[in-house]
Amino acid sequence: MLFSVVRRIAIYGKGGIGKSTTSSNITAALCERGLRVMQVGCDPKSDSTRLLLNGRRAPTVLDSIRDGGSPSLDDIVSTGFGGSLCVECGGPKPGTGCAGRGIIAAFETLERLGAVDRYRPDVMIYDVLGDVVCGGFAMPIRNGYANDIFVVTSGEMMSLYAAGNIVSAVRSFSGSGYARFGGLILNSRNVKDEGRKVQEAAEELDTEVISVIPRSDTVQECESKSMTVVEGAPDSEQAALYRELASVLLSRSKDVAGGLKGF
Amino acid sequence: MRIIHPRPNPIVAAMYTLRDLNVDVIVVHGPAGCCFMASRMLEEAGVRVVTSGLKEDDLIFGGMKPLVETLQMVYEKFKPKVVAVIGTCSSMIIGEDMDAAIRQAALGCTVFSVNCHGCTGDNTTGAILAIESANKAGLLSDEERERQTFLMNAATSMEKRVGMAGREYLSPTRGPTKLAAAKRILDVLRSGGKVCCVMLAKKELAFRFADMFLALSQARDRLGGDLLLLGNLDTGLGLPRIRGYAEAITSELKENGVEFEAVGGLDEYALLGSRMKERAETYGPDLLVIIGIPHAYPELSAGQLLVTDQPRQLANYLSMGLDAVGEIASHSMVMGAKSIVPLETGDTIRELLG
Ligand SMILES: Nc1ncnc2c1ncn2[C@@H]1O[C@H](COP(=O)(O)OP(=O)(O)OP(=O)(O)O)[C@@H](O)[C@H]1O
Ligand code: SF4
Ligand SMILES: [Mg+2]
Repeated sequence: MLFSVVRRIAIYGKGGIGKSTTSSNITAALCERGLRVMQVGCDPKSDSTRLLLNGRRAPTVLDSIRDGGSPSLDDIVSTGFGGSLCVECGGPKPGTGCAGRGIIAAFETLERLGAVDRYRPDVMIYDVLGDVVCGGFAMPIRNGYANDIFVVTSGEMMSLYAAGNIVSAVRSFSGSGYARFGGLILNSRNVKDEGRKVQEAAEELDTEVISVIPRSDTVQECESKSMTVVEGAPDSEQAALYRELASVLLSRSKDVAGGLKGF
Repeated sequence: MRIIHPRPNPIVAAMYTLRDLNVDVIVVHGPAGCCFMASRMLEEAGVRVVTSGLKEDDLIFGGMKPLVETLQMVYEKFKPKVVAVIGTCSSMIIGEDMDAAIRQAALGCTVFSVNCHGCTGDNTTGAILAIESANKAGLLSDEERERQTFLMNAATSMEKRVGMAGREYLSPTRGPTKLAAAKRILDVLRSGGKVCCVMLAKKELAFRFADMFLALSQARDRLGGDLLLLGNLDTGLGLPRIRGYAEAITSELKENGVEFEAVGGLDEYALLGSRMKERAETYGPDLLVIIGIPHAYPELSAGQLLVTDQPRQLANYLSMGLDAVGEIASHSMVMGAKSIVPLETGDTIRELLG
């Protein structure tokens, strides 16, 4: 088996906080630099890579294996902006089945099909639903799938609370084969004293705010064209900030050799 | 205490209770093979047991479809009057809505669900859930529900107090042969002594333990001595199938001219120890033989002779210095039995009588 050296980054955070928007802009910015990036949406909504695919919906891994299907990688890896490799795990309809088990099965499928060996990405980005609700959603943290975990948060209390839970989940796993916690990304909601609040929370969690992304109408303008800011408004200040965030993530994450799972 | 030795789980206990309620088909909503040992035994007893055969896909997307299809298949194939759907670890962890599937399948017979799984606690929790669900489905009176729940809790607390459920892991044992035990009984009768046999049998196991009554009265007829037989064989107590067992055994014993006193019902074994003891003590036997669930009898002591069907229980008795023999594998022999099944100890007695 060929072993690539890959940055393995997972983005967690409270529902609706901006994980998919932020992840997609990071992916787009890294692709612009000529890196090969695979973004894996770990959310049954399967809308993580929508902006990279200009509104197309990637077929999901779980749909492809449903009813005994045996997909090939071409069926489940879609190419988006800048050559980005877009994967959606997918999952059950809300209120049925077990989405956590679904994430586990989707990862097993990607691994069995040798996704990393085939595409040899430089960076893997996992965009993971909401809180770490159960073992399934902790998958990226375990078994060496992701190595560095970042949390998107605003200054809102519930968002910081979720961040705290995620940090403690990551730390409770700490050890070889598990991910480490990399820091907080402040995605501003224009809450009063937001910077200070998040800074304080970071100190309490014994971590850092690694980037501050302002709230900007450009994000929504681009979203309405089904684009990332990096693609839709490449010369904007917001795009520059996402590029900067992408650099920070690169500098703060570690190259780990291996297939889908690092050592 | 955490139970680590192999014992039935709440799913299995619920399935046995459904059998006692004369449910025709049990649909285990879980993986193929879940609880298969128990299912095979129940099939011997005439209950049809199937699984919804959940696969990984179903765990992710939900198992509604396979359950509805299984229910419809079961209805076509077995033409049942009563069907019960029982939850398992896999389906309950993912929060399956079994009642929605039952509504969707819309079978033309009584169908109800039992919301249990392997980790609900003591195995009697499964039996109690089955009783409660059957009661809601109109298969069981409120009064009988209360009685069953009470008995089940009594059985659990007895097992914890004096049975295996309160012990660390013990290896099973086959124990000594039945020869010494049989000789001991025959010696007492031959010398004109009094033998009392107390049967505290758990449900269908009475089909095997009742053979002791047959063998003992044969021995008394041949050798003399005196005999008192006490059995939990009241035909007026318990769930329909259980009463049926007591009736079948009672009439077979009567046909063979065996006289015994019925003390309590087949589902009351956990509660009858003191009553049996009181009766036995007024009789004042030279030898007391306790068969079935001997530890349901208060204060077991070394002079008594115990007969159990459970290999671990036997190890437990022997480790306490009690005189005991094991009728191993009885359970599989009595599943589906309609008449008394020979007991090894009984056969040994008959062999010695020549
Ligand atoms: N910096 C920002 N400025 C303005 N709007 C933003 C910003 N970040 C995110 N949004 C908007 O917030 C909304 C939610 O974002 P997104 O879908 O990325 O969140 P999410 O965390 O992935 O949500 P979910 O948990 O539902 O997957 C989107 O409409 C997005 O355009
Ligand atoms: S773990 Fe539970 S669901 Fe699975 S086979 Fe065992 S009893 Fe059945
Ligand atoms: Mg999202």
